[in-house]
Amino acid sequence: VTLHEFWLQLLNGITLGALLFLVSSGFTLIFGLMRIVNLAQGSLYLVGGYVGLSTIRATDSFLLAVLAGAAAAAALGFVMERGLLRLVRGQPMSEILLTVGISFIVADLALATWGGDPETLPVPQAIDTSTSIFGLTYPVFRIVVVAVAVVVAIALWLLLERTRTGAMVRAGVDDQETAAALGINIKAVFTAVFVLGALLAGLAGVVGGAYLSIFPGADVEILVYSLVVVVVGGLGSLRGAIVGSLLVGLTYVYGQTLVPDLAYFVLFAPMALILLVRPQGLFGRAG
Amino acid sequence: MRFRREAPIGPDPEMSAPARRAADARWAPRLKWGLLGLALLAAIWLPFVVSSFWVNLATQALFFGLFALAINLISGYGGMITLGHAGMLGVAGYGLGILTVDEGWSLGAAVGAALVAAAVASAFFGILAVRTRGTYFVMITLAEGMVVWGIAQRWQELTGGENGITGIPKPGFATEYWEFYYLVLAVVVVCVVLLARLVRSPFGLSLKGIREGEDRLASLGYNVTLHKLLAFTISGTLAGVAGVLLAMHNNFIGPSDVFFLASADGLLMAILGGIGTLSGALVGSAIVVFIQNEVSTFVDRWQTILGIVFVVVILFAPGGIVGTWTRMVWVPLLRRLGAHEEAAQAETAATGAAPTVGAARSAPAASTAGERRTEGAVQVGSRQEEG
Repeated sequence: VTLHEFWLQLLNGITLGALLFLVSSGFTLIFGLMRIVNLAQGSLYLVGGYVGLSTIRATDSFLLAVLAGAAAAAALGFVMERGLLRLVRGQPMSEILLTVGISFIVADLALATWGGDPETLPVPQAIDTSTSIFGLTYPVFRIVVVAVAVVVAIALWLLLERTRTGAMVRAGVDDQETAAALGINIKAVFTAVFVLGALLAGLAGVVGGAYLSIFPGADVEILVYSLVVVVVGGLGSLRGAIVGSLLVGLTYVYGQTLVPDLAYFVLFAPMALILLVRPQGLFGRAG
Repeated sequence: MRFRREAPIGPDPEMSAPARRAADARWAPRLKWGLLGLALLAAIWLPFVVSSFWVNLATQALFFGLFALAINLISGYGGMITLGHAGMLGVAGYGLGILTVDEGWSLGAAVGAALVAAAVASAFFGILAVRTRGTYFVMITLAEGMVVWGIAQRWQELTGGENGITGIPKPGFATEYWEFYYLVLAVVVVCVVLLARLVRSPFGLSLKGIREGEDRLASLGYNVTLHKLLAFTISGTLAGVAGVLLAMHNNFIGPSDVFFLASADGLLMAILGGIGTLSGALVGSAIVVFIQNEVSTFVDRWQTILGIVFVVVILFAPGGIVGTWTRMVWVPLLRRLGAHEEAAQAETAATGAAPTVGAARSAPAASTAGERRTEGAVQVGSRQEEG
């Protein structure tokens, strides 16, 4: 590996990490409050990507695609939370299995609607160029992906730590019963957080559709990446999602350069290591 | 106190011994064995009455049933829901393919080596997974299964990548479709008998104890981690047996056999049939195989149907078909005929694991902070436990 390639892959790793953060932040947010492991997070990503694809074909606008993709995923998240998950509230296994069932359905309907070929969303022309960064030529779009992730991370942090809504969410995380007794509408907070998590997955789907392409099975692949991210970072921790995403993104990208056949396998090395040393993840609360 | 119900139910002390014996006729278990014997006879008779197409379906239902049984051992009896078991199936299937097709081993030796590989792989995955519980366990097994998929899909040189491995042979004595059916039937029957003994052994009972309350069992001095690891390894090896049969049946193994959906299908079979019951896994696999193969000729969207089945079972019938049958038909029947002891046992056996996957009936449905229920905390995975 040349030095040039090393730096290039560093940027690629950060970009992939940024994309993974978009998916796994929603995942970890939902878990942090509701204790639901949403295995349909990948399906929401898939829906976001495909709806974005259709929108961009119809309107030629990437911005509209982002909005439509995120909105579609958020709407699906709303239906899931209100229509199904609410029925089994407080039973983690039922919740997790329900999300598996939903992912079956979404994957199949997406296949029926958008077909089986991999599709790539066209990158908007304005940022479909390269620029020089630290002496390397790098696509502007990828820099934008990182910027979006940074903005989302800051916005989420501000939302959770600096607003009244965020205070309600944190109260719910700490003690649902007391929060409810204090007059917080915890059910509404649940729905809001779930929809927000779904929205982030949908946003990631559109971005990921342009960066990686979207195809049947992309849902499970991205889901597995996010699982590794949250296992490494600690489930329910925003900081864990940031660090985990970067770690997984970099591991995957360097793995792909050094041992292309085993890149997917190498991805799990940090997870196995963390599990042996610190089962609750880097930033997870100790058991 | 679900834990106590699991203990062997002795005669009611308030009833005099002779009265008790009279009430609990010995025909009840015999009736059950009789029904099982009839089912086995029907299975043996099957190739004589139906076409090769249906025999092939039955063959698939049997080895997928074995796969579901393997999942059921840790998920149903041990209460640890796994979504990565297709990985173990794949290790054995790919092991067999690589050794017979690429390396030219004899089939017998390759089968042995493939099963050893599955056992070793599941022990390794188990070491990582059993350190956690509840939802964390689900996520880690999912990731582990996908590790194997990653190798199957990407490591072209070893696994043939997307093309998989073709030309995996059947044993010389079972090349005809009906011969192979009998081979699979024999293997599955042997495995079921062994499993039935296992789940009734002290080991099986402590496994159920782990399902009902891991901490309680640990405080009684049981080595919970070792029990879980053993169960995981046995289960993974059984999945490996299913993988060997699958690879032989299809003469092929490919990445889709190892994918997440394959693991989820196996879990669906176990839950649909009746989680925590041995017969349930076979019933569930028969239905899923039927939907995948036969219904798919009429409806393109059979995967959607499976998803809907999944959702409906979780929401409304966590005991699955066997659990529901036992609760609605079998137990009332036994009660009516006076076999109260048998009825109580059957009810416990068939519905004990249902809360693992579905609504705990005893719990108040209105509880919003359900996870913090201290009593009946069957769903492992509360915040304190997971960190």
